[in-house]
Amino acid sequence: MERHKDKVQLPLSLFPLLPNKKGTFMKSKYWREGEPFVWGSGAALALILLLTLCLLVVVFKNGMGVFWVGPLIHLEMKDGSALLGEIIQTSENKDGETCSQLKISNRDLYSLDFKWVFSRDIEFVSYPQDAVLVERLEYGNFIGFLSSVSLDNQKIQNQPAYAALHAGIAEMNRDMGQVDGVKSEIYHLNQKMEGFDHRLASLRYEGRENDREFTVIQHQQAEIQTKFEELVGHLETLQAAQHQNVALFTDVNGTAVTIPLTSIVRFYKPNKLSLMGKVSLYLQKTWELFFDDPRESNTEGGLFPAIFGTVMLIVVMAIFSFPLGVIAGVYLREYARDGFMVRLVRIAVNNLAGIPSIVYGIFGLAFFVYGIGSSIDQLFFPAQLPAPTFGTGGILWASLTLGLLTIPVVIVSTEEALGAIPGGLRESSYALGATKLQTLVRILIPMASPGIMTGFILAMARAAGEVAPLMITGVVKLAPSLPLDLEYPFFHLNRKFMHLGFHIYDIGFQSPNVEAAKPMVFVTTLLLLGIVIALTSTAIVMRNRMKKKFAVVD
Amino acid sequence: MNKKLLKRNKLYDRLAHHVITIGGVVVILSVVAILVLIVRVSLPLFTPPTASPLAHTVTVDPHAVVIGLDDYQQNIFTITTHGLISVSSVDDGKKVASLDLGIERESSIIFTSRNGAEYSLLWDDGRLSVVKILFRPVFADDGTRMIEPVITDMTPHEVVTSPVKQAFFVTSSDEDAPGSVQVNLLRNNTVSIRRTTVTESLFGDSEEQEETYIIAAFFETISAMALSEDGLQLYAGTQGGTLLHWDISEVPVLVDTVPAFKQPVTALAMVFGSQSLAVGTADGSLTTWMGVRDSDASTTRKLRKIHILTPHNSAIIRIQPSHRDKSLLSRSETGALHLDHMTSERHLFSFDLDTVTLAALNDRGNGVVSLTKQGVALLTLHNPHPEVSFKTLFGKVWYENYDTPEYAWQSSSGSDDFEPKFSIIPLFFGTIKGTLYAMLFALPLAIFGAVYVSQFAPAHLQQIIKPTVEVMASVPSVVIGFLIALVLAPFIETHLVTLGLCFFMVPLCFLLFLFCWHIGQRFQLIRELKGGFEFLLVIPVILAGILLSYFLAPFVEQQFFAGDFSQYLFQNWGATYDQRNCIIIAFGLGFCVIPIIFSISEDSLSNVPHGLSHASLALGASRWQTVWRVVLPSASPGIFAGSMIGLGRAVGETMIILMATGNTPIMDWSIFNGMRTFAANIAVEIPEAPVDGTLYRVLFLCSVLLFCMTFIVNTGAELIRDRLRKKYARY
Repeated sequence: MERHKDKVQLPLSLFPLLPNKKGTFMKSKYWREGEPFVWGSGAALALILLLTLCLLVVVFKNGMGVFWVGPLIHLEMKDGSALLGEIIQTSENKDGETCSQLKISNRDLYSLDFKWVFSRDIEFVSYPQDAVLVERLEYGNFIGFLSSVSLDNQKIQNQPAYAALHAGIAEMNRDMGQVDGVKSEIYHLNQKMEGFDHRLASLRYEGRENDREFTVIQHQQAEIQTKFEELVGHLETLQAAQHQNVALFTDVNGTAVTIPLTSIVRFYKPNKLSLMGKVSLYLQKTWELFFDDPRESNTEGGLFPAIFGTVMLIVVMAIFSFPLGVIAGVYLREYARDGFMVRLVRIAVNNLAGIPSIVYGIFGLAFFVYGIGSSIDQLFFPAQLPAPTFGTGGILWASLTLGLLTIPVVIVSTEEALGAIPGGLRESSYALGATKLQTLVRILIPMASPGIMTGFILAMARAAGEVAPLMITGVVKLAPSLPLDLEYPFFHLNRKFMHLGFHIYDIGFQSPNVEAAKPMVFVTTLLLLGIVIALTSTAIVMRNRMKKKFAVVD
Repeated sequence: MNKKLLKRNKLYDRLAHHVITIGGVVVILSVVAILVLIVRVSLPLFTPPTASPLAHTVTVDPHAVVIGLDDYQQNIFTITTHGLISVSSVDDGKKVASLDLGIERESSIIFTSRNGAEYSLLWDDGRLSVVKILFRPVFADDGTRMIEPVITDMTPHEVVTSPVKQAFFVTSSDEDAPGSVQVNLLRNNTVSIRRTTVTESLFGDSEEQEETYIIAAFFETISAMALSEDGLQLYAGTQGGTLLHWDISEVPVLVDTVPAFKQPVTALAMVFGSQSLAVGTADGSLTTWMGVRDSDASTTRKLRKIHILTPHNSAIIRIQPSHRDKSLLSRSETGALHLDHMTSERHLFSFDLDTVTLAALNDRGNGVVSLTKQGVALLTLHNPHPEVSFKTLFGKVWYENYDTPEYAWQSSSGSDDFEPKFSIIPLFFGTIKGTLYAMLFALPLAIFGAVYVSQFAPAHLQQIIKPTVEVMASVPSVVIGFLIALVLAPFIETHLVTLGLCFFMVPLCFLLFLFCWHIGQRFQLIRELKGGFEFLLVIPVILAGILLSYFLAPFVEQQFFAGDFSQYLFQNWGATYDQRNCIIIAFGLGFCVIPIIFSISEDSLSNVPHGLSHASLALGASRWQTVWRVVLPSASPGIFAGSMIGLGRAVGETMIILMATGNTPIMDWSIFNGMRTFAANIAVEIPEAPVDGTLYRVLFLCSVLLFCMTFIVNTGAELIRDRLRKKYARY
């Protein structure tokens, strides 16, 4: 308190540029005591927190809002034209004019999804109750008005068009089961055919073209071929029949658009929706996000393959990296004799955690893909060459690369967890006659397990967020099939895969229509960030618990 | 006690000991093996090329004037002075194909020149024959590959008037405009040029037009000539050492006369791509020349000496360019044979052969055939990366079409005759530049933030902020990259002046606030506010500063920057504003390294024994004085280590750089444009790099350098931390 009073007497001494009695800069007591610097460091912390907050807010606001249905606004312009769409953002330009970005959709009609409108050009604004938003399989959304529905080329007249559309879609979904059945049959035949092709190739490679097996397979293939053609014909007739079911729409300017019911994913009247309706739509779309395949070059639809790829990548990585990391950690702490070598190794391991991920990636490419992968191909799949089986990027190689990248994390955390256990515990265990292995398995590992788990989780979080090494070891923008399915041998570790992080990079930077892809990028970002933050927070909570636990033991 | 059990336990224990020891050692060794492997991939860049002789039984006419080898090293062909072309198989020496051009002639060939697969043969009666010799791979039914020679006589209708010394012939490779150019050097030192063009009329019938030009004799005797691959540029060297350049695309124009040497020019050749001219002289010097603009403004290009290659001991009499890269095979009067690469100025081979009289490099550049005293010598070259040398990687190189020697990175292009530019310096520069700006942004924030949290904030606050920062550390870089590139970059582009003003307004507001706070100390209420929450009080102040600059920005831009800052920037400072620039990178990379620096600094600050700071406070030092004089110096190695680790992370960060810079390998310190770093370069180029090609290996070299940079930084940091741990272990 005394000091404070002292300071108050000389408020002008706040300004170091004004010389005080002794005459020089920084000599005033206020500055010498450095209170402003305390405030300055507070400001630095505040800035860091603000930045973090900003990042989280931007991601959450944009990511959470994507699936919320906004109203459709109808604008009559001063030049006589009309626009219908959803307002995405409003901003002011340099001359102080407000302009709004309108998502007008109907990419097939207007060839662009968005339009900027100046508020001075608008004559009249309304929110038409009948405006319909149709989510389609192709060309993105359609916004307009429903005029009629025809089923089997018959225009439905006995009920209102909107209800008829609902009924039509419901009926079509029933039929869809049949179509899907045929499709999956065709898929299976394809798979079978491919398997036979591989077998034939290896027979040919072994020079057993005159074997009975060879001709038998060729016979079977011919059979499958006829069956295949039959099914394709069936499918075509089914689809042709379905294409007779169409809905007629008009856009805001009266242009007629025919949309086959098969290409409609979902439709609704945004301006008529109740809050409950919006919530249920939100949930539906979230469900779709998690469990559906992507559409429209990844900018719409779900993320299922990417989520699956990410999870499988982490799992395979964990299988390789966790046991090895723990063994190395145990060795370093419990078995290796402390000395220069161990110190050196410890530094090397810590160091490896800091090596750029792209270096691991390029190592994975040279060692796993071109080194081991090519050798496997030559040894086990020579018949398929020159088409590579394992000699190209795939989920196995990507996982191993990530495994290498995360091993140092696991080693360090295992070591630290073991190191935190008081030495007395080891000695008492030995004193009771336990062997080193028994001590390790019964005492040390259980006690260190929270710390080791923390390492696992941090490693998983790192693996989930890492993209650069994957880009050169096997991630793709669109994988034709999952690395795990019902076809023998179930695990297809040579397959390419999709990944959430790469998804962000790909649709945000390589898609032809970045503006239209933005919502999807934000959703993906939110999802990835959510996963990583959840993993990290778990790790932090566990670590704190462990710290408390050992604080008691000490 | 059960003895069996004891025994079993002991056995298990021993087993486990071995398993764990072996496992641990293997894991550690294999992890360390990474460096070894990437170094091994990049090492062949620097291994000297090798040549191994290939056994064969081919015998050829010792009077051959042309010798050649196919790309598959299966056939050798020769043309004798009497015009007999014969192709012999390397395997058994048998003649595979032949064609006799000289059957009705009584003369012999006195001069030969070559353009691609076409050989122009000048007879001593002044007439010219042109033959095309090609080798085509043919696959037999059983899949074996055979190489089939195809010899075509393409001799044009010839008219010869006066005795000819040298003759060159080029057929147009453009299928839409067929035609040919023939250049004759006559005995009287004049040059005649005959150009035929075939024009096709609308009705499909073609008409041949012929133009002939004569270039008057130059006062010095022309001793060597070279014609570009497209037949539009003609170069000549004289006995007096002068180089001449004509543009013969239309009426011949003498573009350039350079008194280049004191010795006679004895051999000329166009380097692959026809941009550079290789010149050999009587004293054995081998140089390459290229048209260079004197200044940015001039449009004409003057021939200048660009590369000096390893000289011969005697006059160079023949230079043969490779048709794959910028290599040159040169032969001297005494029969020495050299292979040099122009760009890298590497002397690849001095073939150890006895008195070579004829030599040729095949098109693939992997085989050399030569005629020596002992007969035909055939050599297989293993020369995968001639274009890379220490100088091209780390030094300035004068590339074709450049006006000065430069550091440049451009690994590929659409055309085959492109000169790859593999300078690592721009990438190094980009890495340093990005890291530097990021550290400028991150270091003060992270260190002072850590000081505040560890020294001034109440303990329970620490338990909230530390995990927050750790969560911040876990944000994937692809997320940061996306946000700064697609959200922050457009935002900053429109609010650049606001951002600039923030740097003045926020500190100003801060000082103002301090002043008010100081005054406020008179009031009981404010005085009793406990310390430790300063950072919360500061937040509104910072926001106020930002808001103030936001509202002031339009006014400032109007007043000082003529209404548009980026326009002003370009006009007054010549700096272009890229949307994805270093400001963005500083934010992004900064965000990525702040948590790392923060955590480590905070740890080392907290670990400074409290006794030290308590003693200082007890002696009457203020809390800042304690921190500044006592705590910070003790923790400084840890803070330094944290900064180093953060630096290592920034150096190797890939996705942020990849997404938020233009990835252009420029060397410019301006914060308003981007750069290309090692890491981003690898990510961008490796998918297109052919395995084991030069680019592939250079990218591995990049990753080795990146590895070393981070390794040195991290090891330094680790050693410091280790020492620090020991130092405070006694407290």
